[in-house]
Amino acid sequence: MIACLFVPLFPLAARLRAEPEIKDEAVAVCEGNGSAARLVAATRKARRAGIEAGMTLPQARAILPKLVARGRDRACESSAQEALLEVAESFSPRVEDAGEGVVYLELDGHPMLGVPGEITPLTTPSSKGRGAASLGMAILLAAEKALLPARVGVAASKLAARVAAGLPGSPTVVADGEEQRFLAPLPLERLAPALEIAATLDRWGLHSIGDFAKLPEGQVGSRLGEAGRALHATARGIDPRPLEPRLPPPVFTEGLELEWPLATLEPFLFVGHAALERLVRRLETQALACTRLDVALELDPGGHDARSIALPAPTRDVKTLLTLVRLELEARPPGAAVAGFSFTAHPDAPRRAQLTLFGPAALSPDRLATTIARLAALLGSDRVGSPRSVDGHRPERLTLTGYAPPPPPRVKPAPRDGRGLLSVRVLRPPVELEVLLENAPLTLPSPPDGGRGEKEIRPVSVRTLAPDAAPPIAGSVRVAAGPWSLEEGWWTDAPADRDYWDVELTDGGLYRIYRDRDGGHWFADGVYD
Amino acid sequence: MSGAQAMAPALADLLEGKGLSRKAAAQSLLSGLGAKLTRASDLPSPASRRDPLPTRVPALDRLLSGGLPRGGLVELCGRRSSGRFSIAMSTLAAATSSGEAAALVDLGGHLDPQSAEDAGVDLERLLWVRPEKLKGAVASAEMLLSTGFPLVVVDLGLPPVRGRFVPDAAWVRLERAARSHGAALFVLAPYRVSGIAAGAAVSAGSARALWEGSGRGTRLLGGLSARLVLEKDALARRGEGEMGLVVAEVIAPLTLPSPPCGGRGFAQSLSSPNGGRGFAQTPSPPNGGRGLG
Repeated sequence: MIACLFVPLFPLAARLRAEPEIKDEAVAVCEGNGSAARLVAATRKARRAGIEAGMTLPQARAILPKLVARGRDRACESSAQEALLEVAESFSPRVEDAGEGVVYLELDGHPMLGVPGEITPLTTPSSKGRGAASLGMAILLAAEKALLPARVGVAASKLAARVAAGLPGSPTVVADGEEQRFLAPLPLERLAPALEIAATLDRWGLHSIGDFAKLPEGQVGSRLGEAGRALHATARGIDPRPLEPRLPPPVFTEGLELEWPLATLEPFLFVGHAALERLVRRLETQALACTRLDVALELDPGGHDARSIALPAPTRDVKTLLTLVRLELEARPPGAAVAGFSFTAHPDAPRRAQLTLFGPAALSPDRLATTIARLAALLGSDRVGSPRSVDGHRPERLTLTGYAPPPPPRVKPAPRDGRGLLSVRVLRPPVELEVLLENAPLTLPSPPDGGRGEKEIRPVSVRTLAPDAAPPIAGSVRVAAGPWSLEEGWWTDAPADRDYWDVELTDGGLYRIYRDRDGGHWFADGVYD
Repeated sequence: MSGAQAMAPALADLLEGKGLSRKAAAQSLLSGLGAKLTRASDLPSPASRRDPLPTRVPALDRLLSGGLPRGGLVELCGRRSSGRFSIAMSTLAAATSSGEAAALVDLGGHLDPQSAEDAGVDLERLLWVRPEKLKGAVASAEMLLSTGFPLVVVDLGLPPVRGRFVPDAAWVRLERAARSHGAALFVLAPYRVSGIAAGAAVSAGSARALWEGSGRGTRLLGGLSARLVLEKDALARRGEGEMGLVVAEVIAPLTLPSPPCGGRGFAQSLSSPNGGRGFAQTPSPPNGGRGLG
């Protein structure tokens, strides 16, 4: 079985999907420029007032001055078509993109249809017929959730499904083998014949599909040619075209061409928010999350601006994405008014975790990813993460990795004893000091070479060199312990050759200071606290 | 493999109801290599999620009746070298070693991963956030609380605190976020900042460095001792059902011993891949580097 998902007045539906706030107004979508613009579609409210497709915009405005007119927006229509395809893909893996608001999907094997076989029409309901109708209704509801008013037809061939989808009272189910009987009473226009053939058939006095199907196939072929023969076959319910499934998109895109160029950020974020919401909704239907967001801007009067925002973890949080877009645009303004934009999401599977009943509650991976992305946007990506120690001897050594905590243990770990250790606050960067020293007799045992009469130096007073250094350090040294020598990386461009001291000042502050032996400068790089 | 094979008949016996009388069969399921069952008593009870979060600093745990209350704000203030940061490390170690995630909002960016690891912090479970200004620290803490972190430690660093003054309402908002998510919020500041929002306020003062050695001989930093004073305990008052805040002076000594790695002070943060004994050798500690207890 094949279902056809069809959105009537697709250019209008796509536009209203992008601008849902005007859906209750008299809206028309037109194509072309200036006074030559012709209406393509109009809402019911506009049609009731006498607006019809094909009118020029001035004509329509003469009838209805308050008509809200919008131009055809290819970016909108492309997004809406993608959204329609994604709705179909949530029901079947085999989906064909027929363009302009038409999508076919294969339903064979769907659990709601039961065992593959004949389906009787709704007029004589059976379980299979009810199953197909229920499935059609579910597809309709999913399309409505994607903000697309659609119709659904279910039949054995694409043609019958398409025609069924065009009928009101959706969903319409055509039983297998009943295609010809279903088509017979319908007008010939439903088959959308070529204009010449339609005129010929009209001259022949044929108005319904059934009348045309009764004609002998050979005679039709000899008079109307190959196109006429194909049309005759479709009138008899024969549609040899198979479903041509499409590949899933590698990226998801939503965009909009703006009526007026936007020169400030807030209005842009307002329309961008709606586009991101649509984008996230589409990602949700595929159970995916955004791992990278590309922002492409059309600038006025010409030019493009493109940028890419990498997320620390896949997310579907609109607020986070919008914050990232805001920060990116604030940091690097595009330099011209924006006339159109598109957001492209690169999808990835969201993080999942099994929650525990007994152990410590695990963090929701989705919320955690969102928070980390927001923190990275707020503070900078190098200021959020999980710290790691690095092999080496320099106290300032450090590396930062992405935060991905392991799942909590299943059972309660044994409690550990509570001896707190004295920790050190590392000062990054080290604070340069001015240190007064005193020479004292060396108290260590004499070195093996007999010693050379060296004096031990000892800090007696320290003071930060820069007046605005943070934290300010100044005072006399009450106790000093050291020196401890550190030499590392002498073979590199940035070697460390230092003498470290632990000092206690008279104000009670406990500091770790060192003398850089290369330059003789003193620094404080830690506070015991 | 042999453990699993031994367990299989025991499990089969139990499933058939034959093994219930065999204590040995049940024991083999609960112990040994093939053990796959867990005693109910070993599972954390749901009530444990409401238990206070211990700081593993006995004096502070005693003052706070067991530790940091979940769903409340505790503020610890003290001047430089009063043991604030060590208490933060100890609290983070307690939470992460029991399998809970924790976040450290570190305004000064002072964390030393090596030192934290030595203190027992499981770095994999620790999220480290380094805002530049006080406003960013408060905003970060609110986000982390709403994400569900059971422990958020906000360290405002050394004076002067970076960034503009944050109104009391921001701290009240943080306290409410902590309460609604059942999280423990621990604020460490050089002076009182959270105003009325703190459920308990403790000050660390009278800090004294403990040195080994005397006179002009070799000296070694052995540890730090400070006094913790419970200056405010709104939770206790609330428990009694009375209005207002009480200032109760409960004084307990705090003693932070130096690390047991042999080196003191500087040597602890220079601990090398060989176990942190590289720099304690010159000059060698006179007593072999025992902690002060």
